[in-house]
Amino acid sequence: MANIVEIAVGNGSFETLVTAVKAADLVSALASPGPFTVFAPLDSAFAKLPAGTITTLVQNIPQLTRILTYHVVSGRYKKADLLTKPRLTSLEGSDLYINAREPDIFEVNNATVVIPDIEADNGIIHVIDTVVLMRPHWFDGIMEFGGYKFSGG
Amino acid sequence: MTATIERKLPPSRHEFAEVVHRLEAGGAMLPDTPENLMQIIGLYKAYAVPMDFYWRDLLYIAERVFLDPLPAFKYFLPKEYLELENHYAGDNADLRIWRGYATAHKELLEFMEKGELGLKLPKLFHHLWHDRINMEFAEECMRAMLWHRNMGGLLEPYMDSQEYKQNCDRAIQAYFKYNPIMLGLYKLFPEMFYEQCRQATMTSVLGLFWEIMAPVFFEMSDLYDEGKIASVPDAMNFLVNGIFAIAGRPIYHRVNIRGEWFDLVPKSKGFTWLYEAAFPYVEAVFYRTSPFRGTKSYNAQAKQVPDDQNDFHFGVLYADKFPVGSAGIPPTLLHQDMFHFLPPYLVAYYQKHCRGKDDMLIQLAISFQRSMYCVTSAVIQAGRAAFLYPLDDPNPEHLKANRAYFEGQLNRFCRREYGMNEAARLRFIQSQNYR
Repeated sequence: MANIVEIAVGNGSFETLVTAVKAADLVSALASPGPFTVFAPLDSAFAKLPAGTITTLVQNIPQLTRILTYHVVSGRYKKADLLTKPRLTSLEGSDLYINAREPDIFEVNNATVVIPDIEADNGIIHVIDTVVLMRPHWFDGIMEFGGYKFSGG
Repeated sequence: MTATIERKLPPSRHEFAEVVHRLEAGGAMLPDTPENLMQIIGLYKAYAVPMDFYWRDLLYIAERVFLDPLPAFKYFLPKEYLELENHYAGDNADLRIWRGYATAHKELLEFMEKGELGLKLPKLFHHLWHDRINMEFAEECMRAMLWHRNMGGLLEPYMDSQEYKQNCDRAIQAYFKYNPIMLGLYKLFPEMFYEQCRQATMTSVLGLFWEIMAPVFFEMSDLYDEGKIASVPDAMNFLVNGIFAIAGRPIYHRVNIRGEWFDLVPKSKGFTWLYEAAFPYVEAVFYRTSPFRGTKSYNAQAKQVPDDQNDFHFGVLYADKFPVGSAGIPPTLLHQDMFHFLPPYLVAYYQKHCRGKDDMLIQLAISFQRSMYCVTSAVIQAGRAAFLYPLDDPNPEHLKANRAYFEGQLNRFCRREYGMNEAARLRFIQSQNYR
């Protein structure tokens, strides 16, 4: 079986992600035994970001690294494992919000998982349709203040 | 788009339902009228010129003045910093936001030379006469950011870390290498010196934050003059796209000591403009700040000042624009700075209303408040775009989350504790009669 990086490189839909991972020098880390769970944004997800967003990040590698590591979790989590896990701590340090319910809901933050559970040697890949960004600590308070109840996972 | 959302969700029952629907349709908290647009853009222009001084001087103070115990000349900006190239303007920009040039703005240089007096006098005279750019306002904003904690981002915990203190140690020892008295004090009271370093770091953070906002506002003013920004949502969308574009700009602090650079907060920490500067700035300056000293006094025993700093609500969104002459909210010193750079269409506009030229300072302060409600709307919409869902998302669950977010944000202006709902100017700015 291939590792996470080899799967992403072999598939034509992750060109931006692969370029960013190479620029941030994360290839060897993501090819290491891990295991990791990666929420991998499609090229179309990066294309949704306003003009200039990627330019600034590529000019500033530590900042790019922070965004990329927000998409990675230590451990091997398939959708079935996440049905009762509303939060995962990313390698960046901030939480990812998981909304996974049978039969057909699987979301992380504001992204929808379009292809779940791709198995790699060193972890799991979930393909997502939106680049996810760290939610600041005040986000939960504002949502609750507006009467919103987060999914229990 | 409003129609689409209304079909999917019932109308909001919020006390600011009209504003909720406007936000859901991609608008701002400020109503979309040509009069509002003219006021906010005019004020962005008037703000951007002194801001071009603020960011340069803040970086000068953070990088060069640093721990000077008697910084009497910290507002005397050296040529090097006036010629410092803005990273977001001019031909060599990292990302060109303003199509103009990268060095200090021409109107600023002209004002620095002659001041309001219109006379070319020695710099010290202009300074003492207070005929100058009021850096006290910029430093007040910096202090608000330093003083209010719990605003998110990774910089705040970093400033309490051993790593940061070690970086400070190196810089302090180099800075006071030839000053045994200060080195002795540092040995006795190291925490006091670290706190001064933190203040310098926050000065750098605000300088780096405003380095971006100045070209953003200049560009908006130019686009308005060219007819390319024709509505309040156009203005807000420009801000939202700008926020995304420069979200990843590094936030750092370095000090130049006798030609050598010392990193207090290295770029390699990965701190970003959005998380470590913009969000804390909006929270500290637009919402919280502190009760100002001046002709209006607050009684803490009568619960006019919250027990919890998180509940402070003395920022521009709540400010009574009474001209108390202070650097704090309502920042009369900033209004005085903006007064010097108003575009002609706003001068003509203010002369037509109220008491004409005599209360131009208050009228422009209220236009400024409108313009900051527009910036806050842009931050709210950028947060919605970054953390939640598109406005035309087909999934009603997603639209419900967006609505909760908008209503949660507006609820901040509706809280009855400490009379926050009465202080908030959200209701006032819905009408043109507030001026």
